[in-house]
Amino acid sequence: MAIVEADREGDAAWAKGFRDLDRILRGELTRLPALRDGEVPVAPGRLTWVVVGLCMAYGACMGTFSLLSPQGPGLMQVVASMVKVPLLFYLTLVVTLPSLYVLNALMGSRLSFGSVFRLLSASLGVNVAVLASMGPIVAFFSACTTSYPFMVLLNVAVFATAGFLALGFLLQTLQRLSIARTLTIATDLAADDEAPGAIHPLTDQYAGRRVRAIFRVWMVLFGLVGAQMGWVLRPFIGDPSRPFAWFRPRQSNFFEAVLHALSAVFS
Amino acid sequence: MTTPTLLRRADALLRDLPEPEVPAAAAWRSRLAIVTTFGALYGATMGSYGERPLQATYSALKLPLMLAASFAISLPPFFVANTLFGLRDDFRRVVGALATTQAALTLILASLAPVTAFAYSACGLDHRRAVLLNGLMFAVASLGAQVVLRRSYRELIAARPAHRAMLRAWLAVYVFVGIQMGWVLRPFIGDPGLKTQFFREDSWTNAYVAVWNMVAGVLSGS
Repeated sequence: MAIVEADREGDAAWAKGFRDLDRILRGELTRLPALRDGEVPVAPGRLTWVVVGLCMAYGACMGTFSLLSPQGPGLMQVVASMVKVPLLFYLTLVVTLPSLYVLNALMGSRLSFGSVFRLLSASLGVNVAVLASMGPIVAFFSACTTSYPFMVLLNVAVFATAGFLALGFLLQTLQRLSIARTLTIATDLAADDEAPGAIHPLTDQYAGRRVRAIFRVWMVLFGLVGAQMGWVLRPFIGDPSRPFAWFRPRQSNFFEAVLHALSAVFS
Repeated sequence: MTTPTLLRRADALLRDLPEPEVPAAAAWRSRLAIVTTFGALYGATMGSYGERPLQATYSALKLPLMLAASFAISLPPFFVANTLFGLRDDFRRVVGALATTQAALTLILASLAPVTAFAYSACGLDHRRAVLLNGLMFAVASLGAQVVLRRSYRELIAARPAHRAMLRAWLAVYVFVGIQMGWVLRPFIGDPGLKTQFFREDSWTNAYVAVWNMVAGVLSGS
């Protein structure tokens, strides 16, 4: 299988994990021949370390805002954000995975539970890679911004960008998985000549209605649970006018809060 | 790098002459040299308002710093996005094209420096007009740099059309970061009524929030 070929003896697990992530981003692991077995050939175990590491890096960037605001919650908020960003993603995965799998099976997909898990792990990898790459921008704005609502909106925009790219990857990979099964070995070798990127759409004629339906259901479920999970786990950024707390009381919801931040910035 | 070489490189960059077999490292050195030298030249001119040598020195340091820092911060997401859209193989050329554009921007700015200096000395501009004048110079230089950007991106886009969308995304992120970077690194021109400083103590605020407050102030008529 593709992962085995890329391994070098004696490399640390995180180095292998990074190489896996790089190959996911380049689209090498989601080309048709690699998907012939009906699943994305990633090792979720070692990818997890990289995902957690990148999440913590982004958490630190998010926490910079409270570190540098004079009356803010300070260093504890940085620690809290570094713990909470990985939690946000994995708790969302744990909460949604069973229902995602069941819906997917009901809609007639032939993906096994393991394949669904691997596929979602790979998508999480894409999400977190984009997120962490925008960390320096967030840290820069955190360092020189005193407006808390602005930081909330910037972070929401960054999470949304990362989420949309990851969903694009998920949709493309779902389609490729359903194509890969129908191809014979002779034709999928021909298909490999193009070597498209990870999000590059293949020909649209294959975009099955079932794949799109599964994708839409997943997207809504993921989006709602993820956004609300983020709300339950708040504060991530740390309102400078309030003391540090690991969690805030459960009130309101994510969408109401974003609208509130929007009106606060523009008032 | 000697001055004649630097000028020759700068000229080749503007006229898109095929550079005589320069190794990649040397090409990077010459771009960096152009950005720092010509950026500093315009920065110094910009800061010479009110004839304060200290402000001119600060601005000469800050202008290349602003360009380089915005570039460095915007690069990681651009790298990941290029990889995701299957453009990783071209990344070296892409960054080269973007760096060339930055170098061209500073060259155009430097060519406008005498105009700025003349306007400062001949027109007796007040501080606000001086800020506007410099804004105009930056706008002209950005438009001029587009010519170089288009030229160096033409082949890339012809080979893979996805480069066009990537370029737009880059410009959006770079401008978004660059505006805030310029805001944080104020003052570039320096109000002669205030003390000369490298940073303003109150400058660690947000450009977008400040602009919004200004617009809201105008709209509400206060």
